[in-house]
Amino acid sequence: MVTLDVMARNAEQRAARTPGTAPAASAMSPAPPAAPVAHRRARRWKPIFIHLALLVICAGALVPFLWMVSTSFKTLDNAMRFPPQVIPRPFVPQNYLDVLQNQRLHFLLWARNSLVIAALVVAGTTLSSAIVAYGFARLRFPGRGVLFGVMLATMMIPFPVTMVSLFSLFRWMGDHTGVQWLGTFKPLWVPAWFGSAFSIFLLRQFFMTIPTELSEAARIDGCGELGIFFRVVLPLSKPALTVVALFAFMGVWNDFLGPLVYLQRPEQFTLALGLQNFQSQLGGTPWHQLMAASVLVILPVLLLFFVGQRAFVQGISTTGMKG
Amino acid sequence: MRVIRYILLALVILPALALIAFGPRAGESLPPGRVVVEYWEKWTGPEEQQMRQIVDAFNATVGREKGIFVRYVSTSAINQKTLVATAAGAPPDIAGLWDSNIVPYAAEDALEPLEDLAAAHGIGPATYKKAYWDACHYDGHLYALISTPGIVALLYNRLAFEQSAADLRAAGLDPDRPPRTLQELDRYAEALTKRDASGRVLRSGYFPLEPGWYVPYTWMWFGGDVWDARSGKLTLTDPKVVAAFDWIAGYTRRLGAGAANEFRGGLGNFDSPQNGFLVNYVLMEQQGPWMANYIGNLRPDLQQLKWPRDVEMTKPVAERRQNYSWAVAPFPSAAPEVHDVTYATFDALVVPRGARHKREAFEFIAYVNRPDVMEKLCMLHCKNSPLATVSREFLDRHPNPYIGVFEELAGSPNARGVPQIPIWPQIFDELTSIGQEMSLGKGDAATALARAQGRLQASLDNFRDKQRQRRGQGGSISAATRGAVN
Amino acid sequence: MPAISARGREALKGYAFIAPWLVGFCTFTLIPIGLSLYYSFCDYSLLQRPVFRGLENYRTLASDGVFWKAMGNTFYYAALSLPLCAVAALSAALLLNAKVRGQAVYRTIVFLPSIVPAVASAMLWLWLFNPKLGLINFALGLLGVSEQPGWLGSERWAMPALVLISIWGAGNTVVIYLAGLQDVPRELYEAAELDGAGALRRVWHVTLPMLSPVIFFNLIMAMIGAMQVFVLPLIMTQGGPARSTYFFTYYLYDNAFVYLKMGYASAMAWVQLLIVLALTALAFWTSKRWVHHSAA
Repeated sequence: MVTLDVMARNAEQRAARTPGTAPAASAMSPAPPAAPVAHRRARRWKPIFIHLALLVICAGALVPFLWMVSTSFKTLDNAMRFPPQVIPRPFVPQNYLDVLQNQRLHFLLWARNSLVIAALVVAGTTLSSAIVAYGFARLRFPGRGVLFGVMLATMMIPFPVTMVSLFSLFRWMGDHTGVQWLGTFKPLWVPAWFGSAFSIFLLRQFFMTIPTELSEAARIDGCGELGIFFRVVLPLSKPALTVVALFAFMGVWNDFLGPLVYLQRPEQFTLALGLQNFQSQLGGTPWHQLMAASVLVILPVLLLFFVGQRAFVQGISTTGMKG
Repeated sequence: MRVIRYILLALVILPALALIAFGPRAGESLPPGRVVVEYWEKWTGPEEQQMRQIVDAFNATVGREKGIFVRYVSTSAINQKTLVATAAGAPPDIAGLWDSNIVPYAAEDALEPLEDLAAAHGIGPATYKKAYWDACHYDGHLYALISTPGIVALLYNRLAFEQSAADLRAAGLDPDRPPRTLQELDRYAEALTKRDASGRVLRSGYFPLEPGWYVPYTWMWFGGDVWDARSGKLTLTDPKVVAAFDWIAGYTRRLGAGAANEFRGGLGNFDSPQNGFLVNYVLMEQQGPWMANYIGNLRPDLQQLKWPRDVEMTKPVAERRQNYSWAVAPFPSAAPEVHDVTYATFDALVVPRGARHKREAFEFIAYVNRPDVMEKLCMLHCKNSPLATVSREFLDRHPNPYIGVFEELAGSPNARGVPQIPIWPQIFDELTSIGQEMSLGKGDAATALARAQGRLQASLDNFRDKQRQRRGQGGSISAATRGAVN
Repeated sequence: MPAISARGREALKGYAFIAPWLVGFCTFTLIPIGLSLYYSFCDYSLLQRPVFRGLENYRTLASDGVFWKAMGNTFYYAALSLPLCAVAALSAALLLNAKVRGQAVYRTIVFLPSIVPAVASAMLWLWLFNPKLGLINFALGLLGVSEQPGWLGSERWAMPALVLISIWGAGNTVVIYLAGLQDVPRELYEAAELDGAGALRRVWHVTLPMLSPVIFFNLIMAMIGAMQVFVLPLIMTQGGPARSTYFFTYYLYDNAFVYLKMGYASAMAWVQLLIVLALTALAFWTSKRWVHHSAA
């Protein structure tokens, strides 16, 4: 077991080149020790140029969002005024409370629904995709290449194509298995427990980079295939698993069409679907509240990304998007 | 840095876990021993709340007596949801669809016929105004009743007419009344249009694409029709239909394509205080009665010229109207032989095929169609009534003081419902697109309509072939046609 | 175990590991997709039993002007959006990879638009693009542009407007490029710099070749994405004006759920699938010429 630990630690370093151990390469600021004087002067200005360019890009990305935030603090009248107010006056944080407390909108209930579904989907996608990816990456069996190709091709099937047949299928299962599917969350999360093509692809690429000597060592120590998977491969794959989980989370958090088709009662809605209920057919869309609600929907994802962005980027990088 | 990250992470995850563990849960107490009628409706916002009042009232009175409980669900994309659920055999008991869904769904046998239940509740041809009653039918069966209707009239800016009195008089027009023929409307529009020195349009008397919802029905005001119900042939190339779309193109021709497009681009979103009519960019338009609600919400100053709302409501209608900067009249027609032309649209209540509680569902539909309930709902939604007669109270206390004009129009022999063509949604989209082409100054109406005629006739023939095969009938007159003749 | 060879045992284990996907694939993908293939040969309204019609739907598609219009629009969008998004995302990724302070904040901001819910972002951009009241033309006015586009109301500018939104929302792509940049070995830059290559030349000769597999991956994902554009035009333009933003998937959706022609829509879906597969194959075939495969 000692050999195994050492090898695992080595592999971990190789697989996840964390910024602490090896600084990220950069097209803009490689730093060879003996640079000519002219280069050195250019280097002093370079960070400023980069900051300026980044500020311009960020302004472009941010302005629409800032408008959204600013609108979410306005009164309805001011939200629709032209020319637009930049800084809300009066400043109405009350909009957020209104969204949370609105009897008709069930915002917290929808948030809970979204979270429950997201948790189930993220857990299911990550675990099942990892198992399947291990099969594709590490075990040889007839038809592996073809099946892998088929799996990749399923990424290209547009949802509307299968939507209706799936709906009938879920109803059929409700009628014939005694477990009701329609009108429950099941159609939204159960399929996630059978792997998602994109995640399987990413994880397979990652698993291929883990040295086979590790598995062999484990095998000699008496591990079975499942043991190798759970005790060797999974612990080494944290960055890749994080990425898969985050992608899965973002996908399910903003999914609109699925909940629209399968959920039937407002008490079951998710946030992405519930936002639609702000629009009104005959006038009086509460723009300020719609924007406040949108900010609330975005905020958790934003914080997650901010906290995890480096691990996220590293994780994708180590999965090696090399086709 | 690391500490901050963990704190932020905790900020996301802890509330999330708390919400999952202690958050509110979907729980609903259904009264025991009552049949639960599932009712899906398209409305959100205030309309949803207003309908909920009606549902609650039903559950507390008639529902309680008869052991029925209506569970009211408001959802977006209602027609898609209903369609998928019906196809899968798990539909709601009542669906609040649009009038244009009735014929296509009925032609696919996806709706339950309601005539027997209606007759048992004393609801018959005398209950509704004719245009609405006809549009609820297909193939000799009653497939829907109405929740709330709409009717299209000319909405015009009375105050702007007064302010431009000199211009109108110079053009030989009377500023104290709305136009009475379409030709006159064009002359009013021209006299009221303002341009700056560079030819840029600052204000247009009329602009077909503001709001443009009824462009696909323009032929109604030309006395035309888009199909011949007897032969089942589309008649999109009929001179009157062509004239209708050419009339739309005429506005772009007169304003100049560039100026017209620039003007159109500058119109604010409909549901905003920058709405073209509300900011006096467009002085006349096709509208329904609900516009009073919009104006009241977005620009209340336009309907409080003399008194605050509560004072106004104590006055007789003729006086109430002086409180408004705008007024309503029948939208003028192009042909002298037809007047009081209008498009009668409505929100439909249907029972999808496979609904489990058809009889109980109809109890609620019939309840909504009780005169007192219908008037209450239509006043809340600021709409006219589909019922043949309305009370004095309805006319006097309606939030739209011109409701009398709308009521009369709805009862006009020239009020027409949505065309009873099984493929109408396709035709509607095509005509919408042609209307936009005309307004962009792209191509001419005759060519565009001829192209559409070929494409859509093939589609309709295809549909009728299939239907004939299915119903095992011979002959060239399909069931669809007979339905429309009825 | 003498009965089964080692290879046989490994194969069995392999099947066991991919079993979850196989089961899910058969139930949630193969059955529905098989049904949709069958429907594509039928007259099927969803509401009644499908009637087999052979190739009729495909024949009708061939002569359907709206279908070709939607197809043309989709390709036009892809032709504009793919290269522009790639250039924008790649440039952003290069900048975000530089070693300067505050990258966490910059990266988060660039990523932000890709998580705004579709409904909210459609509403935002409707405001921004309003020719008279919107912020964009207001800004163009400040820059002295007198001939301002009519954006969503104009046949010429509606599509570029949607492309602009797609660039705004390309944060996901940026992150993947950013990740790709982490894999470019530092030594290569150092070697290039010693050879006297400037920053631009280093990007051209080192970064791009090393990044080509990632570019390739993103291109394919973007192509699939472009074929499925639907929600934004649905909310913002309803396909107009005069069908200038009417996309393939939008027409498919209309056929399935508005015109009650599920058979026809299924035929469209299969055409779409074949196009995507063909394009992917084409991309793979050309990739041999420009995608760099490192030995590592």
